Amino acid sequence: MSVGYRAVGWNRQKKLYDGSLLGGIALYLALFVTLALALFSEATLETILLRALGTLAFLLLHVVLSIGPLARLDPRFLPWLYNRRHLGVATFGVGLAHGVFALVQFHALGDENPLVSVLASNTRFTSISSFPFQQLGLFALLVLFLMAATSHDFWLRNLTAPVWKALHMLVYAAYGALVLHVALGVLQTETHPLYGVLLGLGVSWILALHLVSGWRERARDRELAAGRDGFVDVCAVAEIPEKRARVATLSGERVAVFKHEGRISVLSNLCQHQNGPLGEGRIIDGLVTCPWHGYQYKPACGRSPEPFTERVPTFRARVVKGRVLVDPRPLPAGTHVEPAPIEAGEALHG
Amino acid sequence: MAEHEAEFYVGYLPRAPSTLARRTRLFVAMLLGLALALAAALVMAQQGFGPGVFEYGTEREFRGVIEAEPYPVLAVERPGEGHSRYLLSAFGKHGALPLVEAFVGRAVILRGTLAYREGLTMIEVAEGSVKLDPDALQSSARPRDDGQDLGQVTLIGEIVDSKCYLGVMKPGNTKAHRDCAARCISGGIPPVLMTRDQDGNASYTLLVGAQGESVNAAVLDLVAEPIEVQGRLRRMGNLLAISADPASYRRLP
Ligand code: FES
Repeated sequence: MSVGYRAVGWNRQKKLYDGSLLGGIALYLALFVTLALALFSEATLETILLRALGTLAFLLLHVVLSIGPLARLDPRFLPWLYNRRHLGVATFGVGLAHGVFALVQFHALGDENPLVSVLASNTRFTSISSFPFQQLGLFALLVLFLMAATSHDFWLRNLTAPVWKALHMLVYAAYGALVLHVALGVLQTETHPLYGVLLGLGVSWILALHLVSGWRERARDRELAAGRDGFVDVCAVAEIPEKRARVATLSGERVAVFKHEGRISVLSNLCQHQNGPLGEGRIIDGLVTCPWHGYQYKPACGRSPEPFTERVPTFRARVVKGRVLVDPRPLPAGTHVEPAPIEAGEALHG
Repeated sequence: MAEHEAEFYVGYLPRAPSTLARRTRLFVAMLLGLALALAAALVMAQQGFGPGVFEYGTEREFRGVIEAEPYPVLAVERPGEGHSRYLLSAFGKHGALPLVEAFVGRAVILRGTLAYREGLTMIEVAEGSVKLDPDALQSSARPRDDGQDLGQVTLIGEIVDSKCYLGVMKPGNTKAHRDCAARCISGGIPPVLMTRDQDGNASYTLLVGAQGESVNAAVLDLVAEPIEVQGRLRRMGNLLAISADPASYRRLP
């Protein structure tokens, strides 16, 4: 978190993550190149490498884009999310290798600066079959570079969350550009139907995953009506497992209703780090812990423990006849609210 | 609410809970398997790389007479059969003219690397290797048989740069290679119209202007696409050339 950032360092899980990632990348490239050279003795190594790197970067981008919605649909994918940044940087690295290789191969050693050549040697923007697909790849690479360069929490803090989030939404523009880069580029040369089919599958998978997870969230967001005193009946105490939360939408904002040690505390559902869903987290050592990267907050006041400085808004709550009632008006972030006691026995017949 | 009663993952703790760890390992293994299967499928579905050969790293010595019009070639005497003409290029995406300009019409020795495909051959001339041939009689070094007029023809094909397509890059034609071909032709590599007969056999015809001049700059926008060229076909030894104003080339849908 802030204040020098949480000292995570290279713990065992991070090493496992990066080890598997690098190992996987090496295996993919090795298999692609050896198999291609074995099957096509007349091929040139440059082209094989170009294709190995390009297909791998595109595949990695699919994985990166799948993790968010998968983790929202199924918490078992949360471990993939924790170090997603590394996957993103690796994707950029492989894409960059592909791009630099293509630049040298197709544009260097000529009568024009290679970078000018990429931009100027094909300007047939009105043609489909001849569209300058390399420029699409260059655009995607620039976006991935921006994202990789700003992926550290340092930038998240200095750019402010909304700007950072908007910047990182550009990844979808990059993805679209890459789909066209493939469709208007190599697919115009390599005509085996498998390529078109795989590209279609990839795009459908990404679309479907985002639609389904978005639709699920929408369904969860159905508004609850307020009672006469303005408090909203959110759920029964018994519906909340101990040390966990139930997420509800009040006045358009999601809140996380936590049960811990016989009491109820309500916080905004949005983690201050990257808007992770606090309500899908747990209470660990008495602290609400975000499921994405583990930022922690005190349940009563929504403040991170010292020396960290994050705060989320809190909400007033009370328990009546085994039901949890919440005031939908958020209190300023970090405001202390006495946790609402669950009266003895209430939880039993909630 | 009893679903996912499984353990909770906190990334900065040294160990993930065991069932979650097992599940994650399984997913990782599945993803890796999928990626490797994909790699294999992607490799196998490629359509092949053509028969071109570039003898990268191998330099040979050649003797012949330099001609520069419309494109630099080395005319090599074939005892009893007149001359074979080898197209010339320099290193990278550069034409050979600056290397051979001073030797036009002279018998020379030069060193270079061969690229060849289906009857067409190019030498990538090693810089500084071109010298007058001390053993040849310079006065009789005049192979320029003016060629044979084959009449008015219409050819349909694709403009390729005669260096990459012969084997320096694979594939050295179509869309993915388009920018490179344009760069090469712009740099002085002779543009060639590649046509195929019904059986898929390729033939290569040098593109020259209506007055027999080189047309590099005029064809850049038309490379790597199906086009139609109407003009006069001429044979010069083993080379074919079609002369037509590049403005009359027609892009086919
Ligand atoms: S979003 Fe990163 S810890 Fe909550």
